[in-house]
Amino acid sequence: MEIAVHFYSYFKELTGCTRTTVTLAPDCSIADLMKQLIGLFPKLAAMQNSTLIAVGVDYQTRSYRLQEGDEVSLFPPVQGG
Amino acid sequence: MKRQLTIAAEPIDEAGLLSKRKVSENMGAAVYFLGVVRGQEDNKTIRAIEYESFHQMAEHQFNLLFDQLEKRWPIESVRLVHRIGRVLVNEPSLWVEVVAPHRGEAFAACQWLIDEMKRVVPIWKRPVP
Repeated sequence: MEIAVHFYSYFKELTGCTRTTVTLAPDCSIADLMKQLIGLFPKLAAMQNSTLIAVGVDYQTRSYRLQEGDEVSLFPPVQGG
Repeated sequence: MKRQLTIAAEPIDEAGLLSKRKVSENMGAAVYFLGVVRGQEDNKTIRAIEYESFHQMAEHQFNLLFDQLEKRWPIESVRLVHRIGRVLVNEPSLWVEVVAPHRGEAFAACQWLIDEMKRVVPIWKRPVP
């Protein structure tokens, strides 16, 4: 399945893009996606523990099972205000 | 609970917001907070802060916070404006108002909302030297 991944804040600099598409086997989790993304964008590895992950507009944990059509967003801790 | 949320690049119109305040007869407190860009960030002088948001998710997360706010306190209304894009030093980036029956719950709700916003709403800032 194909999963669209969006990057926000300085994750755009770390990856050099705002968006990418990753092909994963069915029933993969966000943890599986993260492994693949770190292979593609090694600079994300240092941010692993603080990376926030959303599917659509809701936060999800690394155990979340991805489904075809999911839009994943990765970003650093938020800083509004 | 009435709610009004604005996430936009336009300067925050404090006078306009205050002129539209509505407080019903049973309400005894209107608390508002103005967040202003400081001239220093991490001990460095800056000219501005550039705010970026994941707009659709930010709106959704704010509304989830408003849902919780409504369950925790007897709030009549909440209005929140967050500016995005470049905000110069001394200019406001955040305006929050809570109207409630008593000051205790109005202060508590306003403080809680801002604290939670800084934890979950996807808005980021980048200092501009």
